[in-house]
Amino acid sequence: MASIQIYGAGRAGDGTNTNVQMLTQALKDMGAWTFFWRDEVYSNIQTRDSGFGMRASDKQIFGPDDEFDILEAFDAGAYNDEAGEGRIPPITRVKQGGAVIYDSSPRLDYPNTSHEIKIEDFQDIIDAKQLRTFGLPMGQLAKEECDGRYIVRGTIALGAIAQMIGIDPERILKRYAKNFGDGSENYELNKKALEIGINHAKSEGWDLPDVRLDVTPIENDTRQLILGNYAVAIGAIAAGCRVYAGYPITPASEVLEYMAERINQFGGAMIQADSEMAAAHHVIGSALAGARSMTATSGPGFDLMQEAISAAGITETPMVIVLCMRGGPGTGLPTRQGQEELNEAIFGSHGDIARIVLAASHPEDCFYVMEHVFNLAERYQCPVFLLLDLMLAQSDYTVPELDPSGFVIDRGKLLTTEQFRERYGDNRIGNGTRYKRYEVTEDGISYRAVPGTPGVNNFYSNTNEHTEDGFLTEEEVVRQVQMDKRFMQRMELIRAEPQLPQARLYGDQSGKIGFISYGGTLGPIVEAIERLEAMGLKAKFMELRTMWPFPGQQVREFIDSCDTVYVPEYSAGAQLRGLIQREATGPSPKLQSLLRYDGRNMTPGWIVSRIEEAKVAN
Amino acid sequence: MPTEEITITPIKRSDITGESAWWCLGCGDFGVNSAVQQVIMSLVNEGGVPLENMFALSGIGCSSKEPDMLRVNAYQGQHGRSLPVAIGVAIANPGLKVLDFGGDGDTYAIGMEHFMHSIIRNVNITLIIMNNQVYGLTKGQASPTAHGGLRTISTPEGKKGRPVNPLRLAIAGGAAFVGRGVSWQRNELVDLILKAVNTNGFSLVDVFSPCVTYHREPGYRGSGPIFDWYRENYVVDIKDAWQTMRNEVFSPAEVAQLPEEYDPTSPEAALNGLRLIAEAGKLGREVTGLLLRDESQPSMAENLGVSADHAPVFCDIDINNNLEGYRELLAALR
Repeated sequence: MASIQIYGAGRAGDGTNTNVQMLTQALKDMGAWTFFWRDEVYSNIQTRDSGFGMRASDKQIFGPDDEFDILEAFDAGAYNDEAGEGRIPPITRVKQGGAVIYDSSPRLDYPNTSHEIKIEDFQDIIDAKQLRTFGLPMGQLAKEECDGRYIVRGTIALGAIAQMIGIDPERILKRYAKNFGDGSENYELNKKALEIGINHAKSEGWDLPDVRLDVTPIENDTRQLILGNYAVAIGAIAAGCRVYAGYPITPASEVLEYMAERINQFGGAMIQADSEMAAAHHVIGSALAGARSMTATSGPGFDLMQEAISAAGITETPMVIVLCMRGGPGTGLPTRQGQEELNEAIFGSHGDIARIVLAASHPEDCFYVMEHVFNLAERYQCPVFLLLDLMLAQSDYTVPELDPSGFVIDRGKLLTTEQFRERYGDNRIGNGTRYKRYEVTEDGISYRAVPGTPGVNNFYSNTNEHTEDGFLTEEEVVRQVQMDKRFMQRMELIRAEPQLPQARLYGDQSGKIGFISYGGTLGPIVEAIERLEAMGLKAKFMELRTMWPFPGQQVREFIDSCDTVYVPEYSAGAQLRGLIQREATGPSPKLQSLLRYDGRNMTPGWIVSRIEEAKVAN
Repeated sequence: MPTEEITITPIKRSDITGESAWWCLGCGDFGVNSAVQQVIMSLVNEGGVPLENMFALSGIGCSSKEPDMLRVNAYQGQHGRSLPVAIGVAIANPGLKVLDFGGDGDTYAIGMEHFMHSIIRNVNITLIIMNNQVYGLTKGQASPTAHGGLRTISTPEGKKGRPVNPLRLAIAGGAAFVGRGVSWQRNELVDLILKAVNTNGFSLVDVFSPCVTYHREPGYRGSGPIFDWYRENYVVDIKDAWQTMRNEVFSPAEVAQLPEEYDPTSPEAALNGLRLIAEAGKLGREVTGLLLRDESQPSMAENLGVSADHAPVFCDIDINNNLEGYRELLAALR
């Protein structure tokens, strides 16, 4: 596999994000498989450092690589720890002999003038890494030739890069036409800026012959370039979600925004709730009324939802929550990577309730799993959580075309008007087969009726312990019967469910080095395995997709087949490792945690180096 | 659209009466329950609302036992959280008649966030509060509506600080209907709740429903006396307040312009109501009656583009019937 990686380092609000996205789109259109990630985004709208990464490859990729081939430096933050808080500037991640394209303009009257780049300030790194540097006066060119539209600095840099690494400018112009409208003012402005960059690189004779990707454009390219959160949102709509309720929170807001724009066109509604507490209860209400409904959130919001989750548990209400994890605790790292909510998803909320916790590792997963998420929620009348992490939720991946035509919608024991009448007749008092929401049935799951359906006039759902027909009770026999039904028996049924997503296996299965992980660690682990293989070490990876009920036996067998099992996760508390020990192995010397909790993404090299360190330590 | 029309079957009180009683002998909530059953019978038998379309909700507290006293489609939720569930129900199926029951602690303390936002959103539901100034189910602590000086187990020296005034908040938030009933005047309460249910938008019916066990006033202790205390010392009807207080509240020039009777539908009703609440408050009184009815604002469902005929629950979610639309969504992200 060959790949190139380019990084734009600027300041929030200066267009760096758009610039790197355009580069991603152009390379995708040239036939590459891409990954675009929001590497450095402070919880801040303007003025702090920001950095965006783009990786393009001749094979499908699921995460960033260790080092950059090219660094676009729009701002001194590319090499400086401006605030003096111990930030490690992105120039440290440029590879040996890599390239830096920087804004060489003198101080101008545009914003952020204090962050002017001075090459002498990082000459030591240039020398140490033997970097090739290209001073492009982007700011000055923007000011003098583009009506002072400082924001097109990125486009000028893009033109230069296109020229230097062989991107057909027509690919970029097509994207501008699509994004801004062909011939629009923005289109013309960016076209001009692009040409300025191309011509500057040409006249200077700049070239980076080593940064090339051998790909060819695909005719009728139907591959998606899609954000994890958008894949979730579209998957949910295709799975029949018609009420979305949510509260803005990073990194889940894109689901809400997408629903706000699109759900109404399919007859649904998006409720922007007054808190996550409210949002989760809106989901319960909509589900009681018979609509497929969901919310998406992150740690602090998920905390507020625990009460509603408990209510959904005892009322046996289908509830779907997409949990986009970030660095905690407290407000923690709102815009940084984390997987610290696994325990809360599995063990959170008071009382014992049946629940299903799934995990996705790339946008294809996010999309296709939604079919099962909603089916499982209705089939087992319980909360279902889908775990994403920030990197997956907020990164754009090139993935094969997503196709919902195979989705099967199974609403479990939800009764249609005809089915209700057949079972309960006119459902009047004195009638022997009167509807009971919590009826004890042979298969352990009660029928769900929808209020408003002809004949349904005693649907009673109760968060108090209740009798079969929903009335409050505290009697021990009824309590035990209901608890057994909705928890003990339900979890038994769920464990036997064939549609629970199965763990995926990667690598050489004869290997004695194992990895167990889930979610956004997929890319780095798979590539780390390839590198270990090149070092003569055979390794394999079990990617978990159903986190609860935990596939203990399968995990135990996998661990038994290994000498050492590494458990990479974004959690200081080693939550996944703890879960494995609780559910599969007990305390096991074979398990070794690879923990990253600095809020940054794992890369293949990070994993390999940790394993080497562990080996030395042993 | 629903798959078929529902035929209306007339109902008797016993058809919508639950299995058990949860309240103390003489509790005001019995009066509210009786009125609510009367309202449901009237809606079904005279208003042509199918019983299937009734949906009752509640939170936690003595008053929240109301769905247990009924036998209609219902959800009994957790403390303070019935309103956001009611919003979910009302948006997923705007064709349902949603009655939400709560207490003063349930709604004006732990549920205050949802109370204000439900009002501001103008969700088309009727909220009926059994307001008794105490937390009855946890044995008598002062609630947010407890008046200044009230001695309870949590305010042994008498309550200090101001009570929550839900009518004032509802008017300020822009509720479509703001009324207050009293549990001992059933016919008036039935009339008030019926009007509230038939109002498009958020309707608040706050009902003084005395706690006969934990609400004690000096010289008024027990079931009969506490009702007397309310009648003699606490309530003033908005119509009477209009007659007796308007000369204090309004300037002579304003009085000359005012109608004879208090008009809850006039454009000035919100301001007039607020001024009378404040004036009555100076005398230690709380107003009752219909303060405000204003249907000029769109409901939450209307703002979200859903309705009884175009309800999310009735969407066809069959894959094949939506495939083209789904593919368009995906084609836009390439």
